[in-house]
Amino acid sequence: MLYACVYATILLGFFGILLKENLVMKIIAMDVMSTGVIALFVLVAAKGGVYTPILAAGTAGNYADPVPQAVILTAIVIGFSIQALMLVAVMKLARDNPTLETRAIEEEYRP
Amino acid sequence: MDSMMLVMTMVWLTLPFFVGFSIYLLPQSDRILALLVTLVSMAFAMVLFGQPAPLSWQLLDSFGVTLMADSLSAFFILTNALVTAAVILYCWYRGKTTFFYIQAIILHGSVNAAFICADLISLYVALEVIGIATFLLIAYPRSDRSLWVALRYLFVSNTAMLFYLMGAALIYQTHQSFAFTALEGAPTEAVALLFVGLLTKGGIFVSGLWLPLTHSESETPVSAMMSGVVVKAGVFPLVRLALMLEDIDPIVRVFGAGTALLGVAYAMFEKDTKRMLAFHTVSQMGFVLAAPEVGGFYALTHGLVKAALFLTAGALPSRSFKELHDQPIHTPIWIALVIASFSISGFPLLSGFGAKVLTMKNLLPWQVIAMNMAALGTAISFAKFIFLPHSPVKAQAVKRGFWPAVLLLLAGLVVANVAYYDAYSLANIAKPLAIIALGWLVYLLIIQRMVVKLPRVLEEFEHLIGVMSVMLMVLFGMVLA
Repeated sequence: MLYACVYATILLGFFGILLKENLVMKIIAMDVMSTGVIALFVLVAAKGGVYTPILAAGTAGNYADPVPQAVILTAIVIGFSIQALMLVAVMKLARDNPTLETRAIEEEYRP
Repeated sequence: MDSMMLVMTMVWLTLPFFVGFSIYLLPQSDRILALLVTLVSMAFAMVLFGQPAPLSWQLLDSFGVTLMADSLSAFFILTNALVTAAVILYCWYRGKTTFFYIQAIILHGSVNAAFICADLISLYVALEVIGIATFLLIAYPRSDRSLWVALRYLFVSNTAMLFYLMGAALIYQTHQSFAFTALEGAPTEAVALLFVGLLTKGGIFVSGLWLPLTHSESETPVSAMMSGVVVKAGVFPLVRLALMLEDIDPIVRVFGAGTALLGVAYAMFEKDTKRMLAFHTVSQMGFVLAAPEVGGFYALTHGLVKAALFLTAGALPSRSFKELHDQPIHTPIWIALVIASFSISGFPLLSGFGAKVLTMKNLLPWQVIAMNMAALGTAISFAKFIFLPHSPVKAQAVKRGFWPAVLLLLAGLVVANVAYYDAYSLANIAKPLAIIALGWLVYLLIIQRMVVKLPRVLEEFEHLIGVMSVMLMVLFGMVLA
């Protein structure tokens, strides 16, 4: 069930990138997709248990796998910085293309 | 010995990043520092060539970073070092700001990292850093157009990397490991997702059609760097995986043959110099993948030749072949162009010859026809450069820094020849000569007079993203089979 939700999120994000006309909407859709991928990592980590992998009373070995969590932390940071970079580029583009329609921009800058 | 190599590797791997971030403190010596880093890479590649056995390390504990270095990595690292050095020499007198050199050297470092890592996550980080550094280099002129080209590149590459990341998660789920070896027996969908990411990043087959526009619309030195080394960061893992795992090998070979034909078909009919070179990169990546065992040497010769060609094409008076036919180019530039074109067509005495012979020897029977067709297409497309008119009259001055860069690359082509001198047998020499002659004949008789405009539909932004989902399905079928 949870897997289905995660895959649905990823797919929705992907279709957003594909079908949305506006560049900002496309970037938001990409964020949705990457949220889905992050959720997938969290889900994979939670296979063995749901507790934080810190030794404490009452958790009885029900620990989540720390490796995917650590890995996805890196990916979150990278994704965030890429998104920031893209938004800056979009801001600059918006000065001359206020509608930010991908098709129009593409026509304009085609060689 | 091993621990000394480890220290050396770590120093070499981290040096570009240390230098890159500290260049801002010493802005006057930016070019010198950047060049020094490439020299260190060159020296490291030479040391790697001298190693008797492949080196591999597991840093920290069993979930740490896995590194693997052998002669295959050495070829790719040497390519990276030479091309980056040439680009820095080319920009030497062009008044680029310190920012440009920082990005160039960080790009150099991250590409190096991609060539040595042996686990999925280190590779992911390296590829993403490459994406960011390339974005900043493409957008360096700050014009709206360059911003759009850069944004388009980053968008496609980041979407591809999200698929890759999904694949990595699924592989971890089955094997509790991110190492390349964990792909053995991994679920079909995981391998397919991983491959969509790598194929897109490496500019292979239809998912690589983002490449022509990006490479041709960037500034000359950036194009040279992208076509010379950056695409190879996506191709290298494919070669590595094909060599490590038997199940992957046929998939990689199929894509090699497919992309070699697709790229060259576009390149033959292209009327724009830079676009032709970019399409040709798509095709040449196919040669690297078609015979993974010898892909390293091919990648080296392609990197040198393509960087030289992009730099030379930037010095031509026009980008359109039609205009170049009415406008004779200066003879020394023409000679540089011809040497590079000869090498890429596989003419003896240049290392392109050895690389092509070696690749052809390592093909599987079903690949032979396709790859020979692609070689013929290469000869046809480069006949366009060879038959350009030239005159000793200097029409416009070449900027300083152009010749050192191009000479370095061309010298590399000649010297790399010694890597495989067994190639010089009569039969081996006769075949490429026949292919080149046939290619020129076809060019002069047919292609030159034909005006074919191939549709560019597939290069539109939406289609680039859409093609990823199609490729996913195709790959799924292929892995399943």
